[in-house]
Parts: sequence; structure tokens; C-alpha cells
Amino acid sequence: MAEWGRTTLEMIVQDLQRPVVLDESFERRVMVRVRRLYAQQRKRKGRAWVAISGTIAHRPAWAALIAAGIVAIATAGVLKARPQSAPITVGGPEPVKFVLVAPGAMSVAVVGDFNNWGLNDSALVATSNQGVWSVTAPVPVGVHRYAFVVNGKQWMADPTAPRSSGDDFGMPSSALVVEDSTK
Amino acid sequence: MTMRTTRNLVLLAGLASMSVRATAQDPRLPARLDAPTIAAINAVVDSAKAQGIPIAPLYDKMNEGVAAGADGPLIVKSVRNLSMDLASAHRALGALATADEIKAAAYAMHAGIPAVELGKLKRQSGLRRSLTLPFTVLADIVSRGVPVTTAANAIRSLVGAGAKDKDINDFQRNVKVDIEQGAPPAAAAETRAKGATKSDKPDKPEKTDKPEQIEL
Repeated sequence: MAEWGRTTLEMIVQDLQRPVVLDESFERRVMVRVRRLYAQQRKRKGRAWVAISGTIAHRPAWAALIAAGIVAIATAGVLKARPQSAPITVGGPEPVKFVLVAPGAMSVAVVGDFNNWGLNDSALVATSNQGVWSVTAPVPVGVHRYAFVVNGKQWMADPTAPRSSGDDFGMPSSALVVEDSTK
Repeated sequence: MTMRTTRNLVLLAGLASMSVRATAQDPRLPARLDAPTIAAINAVVDSAKAQGIPIAPLYDKMNEGVAAGADGPLIVKSVRNLSMDLASAHRALGALATADEIKAAAYAMHAGIPAVELGKLKRQSGLRRSLTLPFTVLADIVSRGVPVTTAANAIRSLVGAGAKDKDINDFQRNVKVDIEQGAPPAAAAETRAKGATKSDKPDKPEKTDKPEQIEL
């Protein structure tokens, strides 16, 4: 039975592998048919457009309505097509604990790539345990840059983390690589 | 109402939609940025998109600049420089690099590591190992004074020996402590890399002076 199956399969494969012979006029005939179809479609579309224009010309209220509709659709399209944040990571957020020893500080916050650098009050506010400030927050998997903000104005790199090289604005920052714990 | 009026109405609608597009502001652009800065950043981002490089780091850089109180031209300059580094990193690492690797490589380039070195590392490690952390540590130790070649060789030997991210993190901490305690940066990196590489390999019997006997 297995031998029969194998032989049949081989026959099918051989048959499929056999080159298909087409007559010389085949390609030309196909292209003639394709061009004819395309010309017919274009003609049909053109007629439809003329018909719509004719209707609009006789009904000004309709024209205004259609124009308003086009504006609405275009606006919706633009709003929808607005670029979203490019996904830089695939894993979900992982809890990360930020710790800074600053006995004399009045306040410590954490700002970085993961919270828009504290814009719109998004900074992570740390709590103090006798000068050891800490805050734990979910951070997306990936590489991030961050800094501590001491007393609301002084930026500090994390002394325990790798330095980040991109401090173009004269503010020191650190690098953080968050790994996906599920991997 | 004629055909011409209809055409004018449609044209008006098109213009209206274009003006909506021009004034629609990306929600990621902070409100305190002025119009020329926003336009310049949008141009950089559009160019980055066209090249297929990650754009999230560009917005991060912009936000960092705003949070740091930098002025518009400096923010635009930084975003543009980062965009160029990201593009170079993308070219050096190849199409299979992840967005995180490209971002880490761009910052490593910013620290002075040539793209060629990063590309070599990527080719050596292949697809199995993410180089996000090795690139980050490479940038860190170079910023602490380790010469670029020494730092790249150290990271390459660690990655080549199959060091895990934890080992690379340990290596960075050890080099940092050594330098803070007064060790020359190059010596610290070389010594710690050798140490880390040795500890990763399985124990081998030590060689003795006695020549091996070959049985015939």
C-alpha cells in the first residue's frame, strides 16, 4: 500500500514537473484581452464621473453637501493617518526599581524615555527611607535613557547604571536595558 | 450652478482638507515648541520614516530637550544628529537588527564608537543574541576613558565567549569600580574582560610540563 502510494505520488510529481507547452500566440492573445478589459473599465468609470457631474450641476445643494462630505472624509483620514508612536519593543512593561541615595534631598523624581521625560506631570515621584529614595514603576522592554531630578531642578545620572552618551542638553543621564522576563 | 462651480467646490474641499493636514499637530509634539521647531522636527521624522529607521527615539530626544529647557534650534540639532546616527547604525547593523539595537548602537556611535565596530559585533553575534546591552555597556566604558579599540575588543571577546547579559552587566560594574579606584581604564577593561571570559568557559585540566605520551 505504501509502495503504491509512493509510486502514485511520484507519478503526480513527474506530471506536475513536466513543462507546459504553450502555442506562440498565447501571450499575445492574453495581452489583447487584458488591454480590452482595461479600456472597458476606464470607459465605464469615465461615464460614471460624467453622470455625477451632470447631476451636481443641476442640484447646487447636493454639490455643497458632497463638498462637505469630501472635507469630512479627508479630515478623518488625516486624523487617522497621523503617525503613532513607532513600536520599539515587543514585550510588555517590566517592573523596575529606581534607587538614589540622596540624604539631603527634599524631593527626587525619575524622568526618562518611558515617561516623556516628565512632561505633563508624568515624572515618577520617589519616596524616601532615611535618604534612600526609591520608586518602582513598569517600564517597557527595551533600551531607555533616564535621569533623577533632585529637588525639582537638579538632574543627576544614576550612579549605579551605565552612563548614556546622548546628553546633548548638558543634563547627565543613564542607560537602562529592560529585558523581557517571559523570554 | 454649472460644471465650473462644481469643480470649484471640489477644489475648495481639497484645499480645506490640505489646510487641516497642515495645522493638525502630532500629539507627541509638546505645546511649548514653536512652529518652526515643530516643522523642522516633522521634516526630520518624515525623512527617518522614509529610511525605515525607528522614530520613537527622535520624539524621546525632543521631549528630553523640552524637559531640559533647551531652545528650539538646539533641540532640532540634537534630533537631526540622532537621526543621522540611527541611520548609520541601521546601515551598519543590517536589516535584521532590532529597533532597540539600532537605538543602542546610535548612542554608542554618539560616544565615539565607529559604526564599523558595531557592525562587526553584530555579524559576529548573529541573530541569536541581542546586542542592546553590549552596545550600551560599550558606550559606557568608552565614556569612562577606555580607548575605543580596547573597549570594542573587550565586548567582542565577552560576546564571543557566550557571556549573558548578567555577565556583561557585571563586567560594566567591575570596570567602573576599578576606574573609580584609580585603575587605568584600558587595563581595567582588558583585565575584567579576560576574567569574565575565563569564568564562562568550562574548567579544563591544567597543562603540565610533562609531555603527553602517545600510544602507538
